[in-house]
Amino acid sequence: MSEAHAAHDDHHGQLPGTIGHVSPWQTLVKVLVTLLILTVITVAIAQVDLGRLNVVGAIGVACVKASVVTLWFMHLRYDKRFNFFILIGSFALVAWMIGYILFDTMLYQHNVQDYKRDRQAPATP
Amino acid sequence: MSTGVADHETKHDTLPARPPELAMHFDNMHQQFHSGKLGMWLFLGQELLFFCGLFTAYAVYRGNHQEMFHYAHYFLDTKMGAANTVVLLVSSLTAAWSVRCAMLEQRKGLLITLALTFICAGAFMVVKYFEYAHKLHIGAVWGGGFHVQTADLPPELLAKYPEMTGEKLKDMGVGSFFAIYFCMTGLHGLHVLVGMGLYIWLFIRALKGHFNRRWYGAVDNVALYWHIVDIIWIFLFPLLYLIG
Amino acid sequence: MAGGVVEKPAAHGKPRKHYLNHVRTFGSWLVTLDHKRIAMMYLAAVSFSLLLGGVFAISLRTVLWNGAPALPEDGILGATMEQFYNRMFTLHGAVMVFLFIIPGIPAALGNFILPMQLGTKDLALPRVNLLSWYLYVMGLCFFVAVLVFGGLDTGWTLYPPYSMGGGSQGQHVWMSLIFAYMAVFILGFSSILTGLNFIVTIHKLRPPGMGMYDMPLFLWALYATSLIQVLATPVIGITLGLSLIEHMFHVGIFLPEYGGDPVMYQHFFWFYSHPAVYIMILPAMGVQSEIMGTFTRKHIFGYKAIAWSSIAIAAIGFIVWGHHMFVSGQSPTAGIIFSFLTYLVAIPSAIKVFNWVATMYKGSIDLKTPMIYGLNFIYLFGIGGLTGLFLASISNNVHLHDTYFVIAHFHMVMVGSTVNAFLGGVHYWWPKMTGRMYNETLGRIGALLVFIGFNLAFMPQFVAGTRGMPRRYANYLDEFTVFNQASTIGAYILGSGIGLQVIYLIHSLFKGRKAPDNPWGAASLEWQSESPPDFHNFTKPPIVTGAYDYENWEYESEEAGWRLKQEVIDTGKTLSKVH
Repeated sequence: MSEAHAAHDDHHGQLPGTIGHVSPWQTLVKVLVTLLILTVITVAIAQVDLGRLNVVGAIGVACVKASVVTLWFMHLRYDKRFNFFILIGSFALVAWMIGYILFDTMLYQHNVQDYKRDRQAPATP
Repeated sequence: MSTGVADHETKHDTLPARPPELAMHFDNMHQQFHSGKLGMWLFLGQELLFFCGLFTAYAVYRGNHQEMFHYAHYFLDTKMGAANTVVLLVSSLTAAWSVRCAMLEQRKGLLITLALTFICAGAFMVVKYFEYAHKLHIGAVWGGGFHVQTADLPPELLAKYPEMTGEKLKDMGVGSFFAIYFCMTGLHGLHVLVGMGLYIWLFIRALKGHFNRRWYGAVDNVALYWHIVDIIWIFLFPLLYLIG
Repeated sequence: MAGGVVEKPAAHGKPRKHYLNHVRTFGSWLVTLDHKRIAMMYLAAVSFSLLLGGVFAISLRTVLWNGAPALPEDGILGATMEQFYNRMFTLHGAVMVFLFIIPGIPAALGNFILPMQLGTKDLALPRVNLLSWYLYVMGLCFFVAVLVFGGLDTGWTLYPPYSMGGGSQGQHVWMSLIFAYMAVFILGFSSILTGLNFIVTIHKLRPPGMGMYDMPLFLWALYATSLIQVLATPVIGITLGLSLIEHMFHVGIFLPEYGGDPVMYQHFFWFYSHPAVYIMILPAMGVQSEIMGTFTRKHIFGYKAIAWSSIAIAAIGFIVWGHHMFVSGQSPTAGIIFSFLTYLVAIPSAIKVFNWVATMYKGSIDLKTPMIYGLNFIYLFGIGGLTGLFLASISNNVHLHDTYFVIAHFHMVMVGSTVNAFLGGVHYWWPKMTGRMYNETLGRIGALLVFIGFNLAFMPQFVAGTRGMPRRYANYLDEFTVFNQASTIGAYILGSGIGLQVIYLIHSLFKGRKAPDNPWGAASLEWQSESPPDFHNFTKPPIVTGAYDYENWEYESEEAGWRLKQEVIDTGKTLSKVH
């Protein structure tokens, strides 16, 4: 349980006996600046009409931002490997669920359209 | 941790003294700290899958109703969304900084960063309140309840599609978009409120001087939770406000 | 109490202090952080749920003796017998699934045994453990509220559009549906917290001397279960959360008349509920592995195969949910893919069965009560598993869907396997948990009654199902009478078997013989503690022995139990701790 802590205890004025890795405040500020720049980029991309690429771009930038937050703010770079696996595993399941259900709903969507056409009348509360 | 249980301490001849914060079933502070942290990470994995249902609903409706989503996204104010993004990112910085302060035993810095995180969260909720109030006011709500007058449509939407009316949007099923919008941002907002509660709790504990370099798990774990709330917003913002 | 002590202080003078009597106040149970006490409270609560669900089951079978009788003019309480029947099968399903089978083995038995098999004092997060019990009780209360508010007739799956917005049932059911959503939502979080706690405990509290492959297989099974609990259960949480909002505000996510998609509900629901089936069966397989080893006195065959097949089942569980939706409106393409993937489940399941059978081969089989349940398990799980393959192929499934064949199939797995393993586990660990022995003869009779009753109840349903008898109806055609009446008799026998157990187990608490520390000669660490265990689980640090190395133990006729051989005590190492 106590392995892998000796590696990082030599810098940043860390107090002796501290558990875990202390982030220097300069790093934290740099991370925030990066995130703000990425926010500006994603807003800027959205102003241009790129068709389908807009979605890809938005999700891509969001993924980069999320990675930055997890790696530095959430200390995942310095954390136990297993915590990283939990995150990756959860994301994989999220992707699988979204992907497969989207795939299926798009395949049966024509049935829904038929149903709506048959009913004709728009929905009323 | 388990006060009360810790009183029944058994003999530990090899250790000079067990720290008072160490629960009876752990061997050392490292084990205790990393147990709590692993528990938190599993909880965060759970959180991702909890939100996953909403993201799936979003993907399904967006995938099958591109046009409707395009019109609907004009209802959301990009400026307010961007402002909220910045507020949350700053709060993430202060949250991460509070962990640093706790580890360095900087009590004043800890109190300041915890308070700043709370204030940012509050600011987020205030902006959210104005957004919600406006939508409810013009009738941009979920399901069949959607009843926006043509005059109340967003100017950008009318500028681009002058022939658009509230009735047309309603028939298009724009209510589904707002169902998803309110569920996603509402659930996220609930998480922000819970986070605010947790930061009050941390602030009180920090005032009492509970935390030190080997016993700051609560600050760390709440910060992890807060970062996940931030990450979810990082995805919500472009998906709802930006892409049309 | 490594090695076992013949003389118990209990015989003379003051009784020994253990976890049950070190504090005796009622309040000390309500705020306890001790995993053993929480486990006992869970055991009481899930047993109550089992009996509640069982009462519904017996009522259903009673109605089906001859079909629903006609009631006087306006019915009773404004409902016809058919409507009562619909509510009973809904609550039978919901109570059994959410309140009994899912928490049954992990939260009651696992909670008690997991830290002891690791040789530790408690679960890693004791407060989370207590919280999970309170959430469970809250969920139980919400289900009682469902009953009070008139019950539900939607089936335990709560499918829209029938369920939401009142369905066909009028306003009073509107409220009970809200309670049902709340109940399942809360129970889900109880389940998540239990799973989370188990994973943390296995990772962080496993002593340095014990690798993953040194753990008893019960822990591997609980580990796989916990992974599913943590990663799948939140999806049912959000699904029912959205359903609640849809039900109350008609937001248009699941209800088609407001622009929603009911098939998406089924996707969401089964994304959890199929993995949940493995939450139900995996811990049962873990119990089974322990029982098969102990009562054949032979090292479990194929340890790694059994261990990794648990993980494989958990993983495959996430990619097969669509086989519940073959006739729902899911696209044929998705259906075909799901059908293929579903066959994969058979591989790890069969690996386990082969290994249990191979463990028995040339073992010295001791037909104690838990072992009889173990044999029941193999037989019934075999049938339940193989009929699952019939249902996995789409062409069969379209015919058999929503017939009694499906009912018989999943009862074979859930009752035939999980309930058998639960009962087997309760009998196996009863001496350890309570410090008392139950009556062995009555135990064997009970196990046989369960086996006979169960087979008589569900085998005819396979036949009725293939001949087209649909599920969820209170009436049937005359040609199905013989199957239904046989099934009803079987249900009564099954019920009487469980009733007998309740009687003699409670009797044993007061009049039972004092249990030796290791009545079975089992080799995992929990048997090195005293019966019942000390508050700290072990009064002496347990000695490291293999979880299936039965040769380290010898029978001591004086105390009618087993003790570690002296040379093992002399040469063995205690579980060391890192400081």
